Amino acid sequence: MSGAFLKLDALRVYFSVSGGWLKPARKLKAVDGVSLEIAPGEALGIVGESGCGKSTLARAILQLVDVTAGQVVWLGRPIESLTVRQMRPLRASMQIVFQDPLASLNPRMTVGEIVAEPLRVHRADLSREQRQTEVAQMLERVGLSRDQINRYPHEFSGGQCQRIGIARAMILKPKLLVCDEPVSALDVSIQAQIINLLEDLKRESGTSILFVSHNLAVVRRLCERVLVLYLGKTMELAPSAALFGAPLHPYTRGLLASVPIPDPDLQPARLETSLTGELPSPLAPPSGCVFRTRCEFAIERCTVEVPVLEQLPDNRQIACHRWQELQLKA
Amino acid sequence: MTSARSNVLEIESLSVRYETPDGAVQAVADISLEIAAGECIGVVGESGAGKSQAFLAVMGLLAPNAQVAGDARLRGRELLGADPRALRDLRGAELAMIFQDPMTSLAPHIVVGDQIAEVLVVHKNMSWREARAQALQLLEQAQVTDAARRLTQYPHELSGGMRQRVMIAIALACDPVMLIADEPTTALDVSVQAQILSLLKRLMRERGMALALITHDLGVVAGLADQVAVLYAGRIVESGSVRKLLKNPSHPYTAALLRSMPRIDAPVDEPLVAIGGQPPSPRQPIAGCPFHPRCAAAPSRCTTERPELRRIDGAQVACHFPRSNSASAITL
Repeated sequence: MSGAFLKLDALRVYFSVSGGWLKPARKLKAVDGVSLEIAPGEALGIVGESGCGKSTLARAILQLVDVTAGQVVWLGRPIESLTVRQMRPLRASMQIVFQDPLASLNPRMTVGEIVAEPLRVHRADLSREQRQTEVAQMLERVGLSRDQINRYPHEFSGGQCQRIGIARAMILKPKLLVCDEPVSALDVSIQAQIINLLEDLKRESGTSILFVSHNLAVVRRLCERVLVLYLGKTMELAPSAALFGAPLHPYTRGLLASVPIPDPDLQPARLETSLTGELPSPLAPPSGCVFRTRCEFAIERCTVEVPVLEQLPDNRQIACHRWQELQLKA
Repeated sequence: MTSARSNVLEIESLSVRYETPDGAVQAVADISLEIAAGECIGVVGESGAGKSQAFLAVMGLLAPNAQVAGDARLRGRELLGADPRALRDLRGAELAMIFQDPMTSLAPHIVVGDQIAEVLVVHKNMSWREARAQALQLLEQAQVTDAARRLTQYPHELSGGMRQRVMIAIALACDPVMLIADEPTTALDVSVQAQILSLLKRLMRERGMALALITHDLGVVAGLADQVAVLYAGRIVESGSVRKLLKNPSHPYTAALLRSMPRIDAPVDEPLVAIGGQPPSPRQPIAGCPFHPRCAAAPSRCTTERPELRRIDGAQVACHFPRSNSASAITL
C-alpha cells in the first residue's frame, strides 16, 4: 500500500457567480489545483484566511460540493465516478464535525437519537440494544454521562454540544474525520477541553483528521502536517515542526506573526509585523503569484509568472519564486 | 489610585441585575474600575462574565428591564441615571463604542460616507457637505484603502475588516475621550485583527484617548493593554498591570486561562491544561467563590465565603488562597 488512503489530484472547485443583468457569469476559483495525500492516522491542518478555500476543500473531499476538475481518490478509487448509491457506504468512513455546535444538532432529537442515527443508517445489522450500548459507550468516551442520553441539545452548553457532534461523527469509527473550525465558537476555557478530546480520540482510534482552522496555535498542537492555502492555491505544505519552526513562504511567515501571544513583552512588537492588506477578491485574483499584492518581497517576476509548487527533500512543498533567497536572508 | 491621575472613566460599585420570569439574573456585581487618559484597559472574561453588560450600562444601552446600581463617571459627570437627552449628546461624541459584528452595527441601506457624516451633522452641527468632506478624512485616518470610493459604497460591499474600520471612523468622528471596543476583532481573521489592533493603538496614542478593550483573548490584551481586569461570573477576580497579570497571575482563574490557551510559541509537548466544567450561569449564583467548582485548589472555605478583592503584589485579587508571587506555591 502506498501509505495514503486519501489522495487529492489537482483538485479544482469553481463556483459560477452571476455577474448581474446582461453580464456574463464569472468563475470563482475556490479551490484551484490542490494535490495532497493523507496517511492513515495522520492529522492534516488546513489554514488560511477566510475565503482562502479551506472549507470548500474539506467539503469537496466529502463530496458535499461538486468537484470541477481533478480527482479525489479514496482507497485507490476515484470517488467522482461513484453513483450516489455507491457513495453511501463510503460516507460511513468519512465524517464531519461542524463549527457551530448547537446549529449542527437537530433540536427535536434527543442526544441518544442524534448519536444513534449514523448507526441506524449505516449499521442496520445492529439490534436496538446493541445500538444503545454503543451510543452510551461513545457518550462516555467524549466526556458525557449515560444519564444524559434522553436530554435534548438545548439542555447542553456549547462545549457539550460539540462533544455530542464529535460522538455522532466518531460512532461509525470513520477512517477520516473532517473538523471544520471545531473550537472557534467555544469559550476559551472550553476550547482546551475539546482540543484535548480530539487529541485523545486521534491517539486511541487511529482516525485520520482533516483539521480546518484559522487558529494556528491549535493546528500546531493537533496536526502532523499543515497545508497553507491562499485564494484556493497551495502556498506551502510541510510537516508542522518545519512549518512552525522555519516557515518558508512569506504568507506563512505573515500568518504566524499575526497570531497573538499573551506576552506583554513580545506582543506589542508582533502587532506591527503582521500581514498588510486583505485577501483580494477571489473573482479577480492577481496575475502571477496570487499572494504578490500583499508580499513585501514581490518582484517583477512575481507579477508575470505563476510560481510552481516545488517539492523539497524534507517532505515540504512551496510555491514561491524567492524562497531560497529569503531563507538565506533570514 | 491617586487623584493625580486624570481618570477619564471611573466606574464604582457597578451592578446590573435583571428580574426575569425565571428568576433574577445578576449580570454584573459590584465592579469598580478606573481608566486614565491615553490608557488601555483590557477587560477579559468568557461569555456571560458580564464584560459587555458592564460597559453597555456605562453607555446607557441596556435593555429597559435592567436594574443598574452604582456610579459611572465620565470626566466627573455621572452617566448612570443621567437625563437621556444629555446621555445622547455624550454618546457618539465624548464616549463612543464599537462592537464585535461590524455588519449588524452599520445600517445596510445607507452608504458608508453618510453614516460617518451623520455623526458630525448631529453632534457638531456641520452641514452635510462639510461632514462628507470630514468623513473622507476620517476614513483615511482609519486606514481605509481607496477611501474616496468607499464613501459611496454600502456596508455589504466591504470586507469585515473594512467595515470595522468604518465603525472606528464613526467612533472617532467627534474625537471621543473614551472608546469602548467590545470584541472588535473576534469576527476577523488574525491578519486583519493585528491590523485593527495596531490601528486602535496608534489612534489611542495620537489622540490621548482612553480605550476599554473587551475581549476573551489574552493575546489581544498583551499587545495593547496597560491594565487588565479579569471578570468571572459578573465580578472582577483580578486586576492590575498587564505585565503582572500575564506574567505572574495571582488568581487561579487567570493562571488557568493562560494555561488553557494553546500558544504558538510554547513547546508542543507541554500539556494543555483545560479548565474543567463550564462558566457559571448568571441565573444560578454560586455560594462562596464563584470559581470554586472549577478551581483545583478550593478548600472548604472557598465554598462558603466569597473572597473580597484585596491588594496583593500590586494587583487586586479576589481569592482566599492566591498563588504566591515567588513560585507556584499552590500548584493547580
